[in-house]
Amino acid sequence: FVQMRTKLNVADNSGAKIVGCIQAKARKIGGSIGDVIVASVKEAASGKKRIKKFEKESTKVKKGDVVRAVIVRARMQKGRRDGSHIRFDENAVVIINKEGEPVGTRVYGPVAAELRAKKFVKILSLADDV
Amino acid sequence: MRLEKCWFCSSTIYPGHGMMYVRNDAKIFRFCRSKCHKNFKMKRNPRKVKWTKIYRKLHGKELPQDTTFELERKRNRPERYDRNVVEDTVKAMKKISETREEREAQTLANRMRGKKTQQRREDLAELQQGIHLVKAPTALLEEPSLTLPKEKMKVKVSVEQESKAMES
Repeated sequence: FVQMRTKLNVADNSGAKIVGCIQAKARKIGGSIGDVIVASVKEAASGKKRIKKFEKESTKVKKGDVVRAVIVRARMQKGRRDGSHIRFDENAVVIINKEGEPVGTRVYGPVAAELRAKKFVKILSLADDV
Repeated sequence: MRLEKCWFCSSTIYPGHGMMYVRNDAKIFRFCRSKCHKNFKMKRNPRKVKWTKIYRKLHGKELPQDTTFELERKRNRPERYDRNVVEDTVKAMKKISETREEREAQTLANRMRGKKTQQRREDLAELQQGIHLVKAPTALLEEPSLTLPKEKMKVKVSVEQESKAMES
């Protein structure tokens, strides 16, 4: 479960690198894949590096910001309706705004299909893999 | 619904079983039970783990490459439902599994060929070496009826005599 203090990687290009969970919005026990959390940005990109030739690291989100994020990858397994379980290699989030739309423009790495049920369609469409 | 194969032991994963692990490079590993999952976490290579199908096929213990496996190959293109096709497929599945069982039995027979004679030879050697456990060597000399079976000649009779002696 993703609880308060849990550090998560950021899987988009919003500018944040590592985010620390403040509160899991979904359940008292903590969040899992597909849940929204409130987090504080622990590490952010400096904005000086260049990812590609005409693309600089974005600084939409700065260190110390309190943001909402949705968990797209979690180490703890999540059960599915057909009885199978799925787990990932790391804990990762995509930073979203109040409406649930991603702040960044790209999503990195595979993403759980559980997001579709939670209506995070934009993230799914941006992701490399589901 | 799709029946997957366990990445580690190659057994079928039925719905409701197993775990799916997605690596960060988006490669998916499916496991049929926690035994396989734990072995994977230990970073064991299934090609070296003796009870997996991969090992057995690699080391010639089981039918390695055969046309009967072609039917089970994964196809990603969905087929339009056709009742006749379904009927034929069901019939084919039956026939193919029968032939595969026959071929597997054949490979097993091939593998075990010559085992009986080898076993007999080994038993003879064991008898000759360990006859002192059954009867004292001096007793052997006294009783002429107790003869150690000679190799290749009259093996059956002598072994029977020996077993009778052991019983008495």
